[in-house]
Amino acid sequence: MASVDVCTPTKGRVFSTRMAGGRMPLTPSPKPKPSPMQTSNVPSIHTTPLFATAGSKSAAKKIGKSNIAKASPKRLDSDLSEFALTSTGTPVKSRNNRSRPQKSSVRIAYNAADRFVPNRSASEAICNIGTGKVESRPKSSSSKVQEGSSILASSAFDISMRDDLLGRGIDGLSIDREENTSEKKSPNTKAYESSVAQACGLNLNTRILAFKPAPPESSRPVDLRAQYSRPLKPAGLNAQFRRRILTSPDRVLDAPNLVDDYYLNLLDWSCNNQVAIGLGQSVYIWSADTGNVASLFETSADTYVSSLKWSNDGAYVSVGIGTGEVQIWDVEDQTKLRSMYGHETRVSAMSWNKHQLTTGARNGWLFNHDVRIAQHKIGTLESHTGEICGLEWRGDGAQLASGGNDNLVSIWDARSLQAPKFQKTNHNAAVKALSWCPWQHNLLATGGGSHDRQIHFWNTTTGARVNSIDTGSQVTSLRWSTSYKEIASTSGFPDNSISIWQYPTLVKNIEIPAHESRVLHSSLSPDGQILATAAADESLKFWKIFEKKAGAPSLVMSARKENDIMSSSVIR
Amino acid sequence: MDPAPPKTKSSRSKTGDAGEKDKSKTHKLALKGSSKLVSEFFEYSINTILYQRGVYPPEDFTAVKKYGLNMLVTSDDQVKAYIKKIMSQLKTWMTGQKISKLVIVITNKETGEHVERWQFDVQINKLTKSKSSKREAPNQENADAPPAPPASEQALTDDEIQAQIRALFRQITASVTFLPELTDPCTFNVLVYADADSDVPIEWGDSDAKEIEGGEKVQLRSFSTTNHRVDTMVSYKLGS
Repeated sequence: MASVDVCTPTKGRVFSTRMAGGRMPLTPSPKPKPSPMQTSNVPSIHTTPLFATAGSKSAAKKIGKSNIAKASPKRLDSDLSEFALTSTGTPVKSRNNRSRPQKSSVRIAYNAADRFVPNRSASEAICNIGTGKVESRPKSSSSKVQEGSSILASSAFDISMRDDLLGRGIDGLSIDREENTSEKKSPNTKAYESSVAQACGLNLNTRILAFKPAPPESSRPVDLRAQYSRPLKPAGLNAQFRRRILTSPDRVLDAPNLVDDYYLNLLDWSCNNQVAIGLGQSVYIWSADTGNVASLFETSADTYVSSLKWSNDGAYVSVGIGTGEVQIWDVEDQTKLRSMYGHETRVSAMSWNKHQLTTGARNGWLFNHDVRIAQHKIGTLESHTGEICGLEWRGDGAQLASGGNDNLVSIWDARSLQAPKFQKTNHNAAVKALSWCPWQHNLLATGGGSHDRQIHFWNTTTGARVNSIDTGSQVTSLRWSTSYKEIASTSGFPDNSISIWQYPTLVKNIEIPAHESRVLHSSLSPDGQILATAAADESLKFWKIFEKKAGAPSLVMSARKENDIMSSSVIR
Repeated sequence: MDPAPPKTKSSRSKTGDAGEKDKSKTHKLALKGSSKLVSEFFEYSINTILYQRGVYPPEDFTAVKKYGLNMLVTSDDQVKAYIKKIMSQLKTWMTGQKISKLVIVITNKETGEHVERWQFDVQINKLTKSKSSKREAPNQENADAPPAPPASEQALTDDEIQAQIRALFRQITASVTFLPELTDPCTFNVLVYADADSDVPIEWGDSDAKEIEGGEKVQLRSFSTTNHRVDTMVSYKLGS
């Protein structure tokens, strides 16, 4: 805000343009008193830097830079000037010109030297100066209050012009351009504008317009060097030739009473092609071969199933209970083999490594059990302080990754479980999604919760973070494809989708809107083609997202049979 | 004046004197056709620059035959839609002769620094007696732009225009050899110098010129249609 001091002798009356302008002035005080912004008597030190850049056109431009005459409607309590105010009929445009009963001098605080001043406003001001010069000649006539107060500004400028002529310089002229962009100008003003602008070599008639929406993001970083030596036939995938991925579910099952809790792990698909799911107090086994569904057992009514996991051979399923108990069931016989106690809080994540079962609980405890022996607890893994929600042994059993509600990812070496090999704090939210790359053993993908939304890729030999993706939503699970160099992530709010990313280019192949509410769990079929997702909308969906082409070699030599599956419908 | 190719369909000149031009056998683009040609040129320019300067990955582009060249245009749906939105407004402005410059600014995504600026100056050939050539002479700001061509009394044939555009695109393509390598991820913006009285849709807003401070400037070729002349200039940040 700058105010202009027009030091004309005042009459007693004050012309308030509040009425004329139709806008409330910012400073409604009608009294000609010094405003706090007035630095008028202080010689400005800011003047030269800007004008120095004005170059040869300096004289005209200097004046031009001061937009006083361009009349912000925001400050309109102008004082009555002695000059004749001939109405031009234009609406009030005057800037606030305060009178001070001193010798006529215009010293305007200029305290915005570092601002960018576009030429347009400059020229506007220039023309207004001209107007002032011409129109407010008759100084002698005494005061009349008139509505068309653009002349007020003009007279101010008249003074300023005279000042200029007197060699006083215009170092005090203030600049406040932002208020002045949308003024209407009188025809005279326009005429001057154009002539002055022409004289200054400015172009009034153009405005620079930018197309405001941000351009779409590049799907991947581009290395131009590679582009310059690019083969004629690109090796990469063209935008229009990307892998076709089915976007509709292969099958949808009901999953009533599925607990909507991010921290639990209630879905697993065995190598024998059986899907185990925990629904409330019950564990159901759905055979993907036959479509038959069987209830394995129910917990007591005061607790619930908090996690489950198939053993590596697909014969047993371990079930974590809300009380902290861990049960191991023989699925074929439908009998409980044993219960393992030790946790005091619910067991929310577990992972098998041959005969070892690692379980993580709500209080951050991480136990290693040997399920064959009576004293089953063979190790305590101390690292986490928050609920363990992700736990995954590497395929060869040499490393274990754990993620918790303390936003921590710990990577353990199977040979020394006393302390984690690496602790990674890059995530800003709970880490539930963990997945070991099937074709590169030391590559681990981890995904963070809703405040993080990142997928990080780690080299677990060196501990280095090798890649990251910002997914834009809570990452609830990650599954590497066994047949494509791709990874699927499932997400919670806001997308509730399945996204498939190429690795290592990190190009998003597709995003499938999968469920109506957040996808909680996912699991890959033993042949690696189908992803099962369970969501808070109480449905279990099967997606054939990694459909193999006939004859295409698998990335992973897997002994798994390619059963074809899927026949019947609802889980119960 | 070549006694060359036969008149084609798009020569419906509205101006009085153009009516009896038939014998000349040259192809006179009416203003509308000329505007269309220039906007089309802009569309291919944007695509070419995005491709050549690696704003988007090369596999997102497909080659189409145009101007006797293989032009690369984006096949990414989002980018396509984005350019289409720009182009539709640009065409309106072109036809209304509201535009004096089109600028494509390439900006470093991280620092927000403008690293490259492609400027296309559009001049309306005043000497064409088209009634709509009311525009002012080219703005003096482009001191480094060569003066407008003497006249367009010799109307250009389609082939000549195509050849000029082809040469210009070759030059844009070749300019990657002297332009500094863009190592950081970049994004782009489209600016338009429009007349003050143009209708401006809400997607467009006032902007500064996004000039490159202390940039090197290179004037590229120009091309002319009967009604327009387009000068091309690229300015870029010198590598530090």
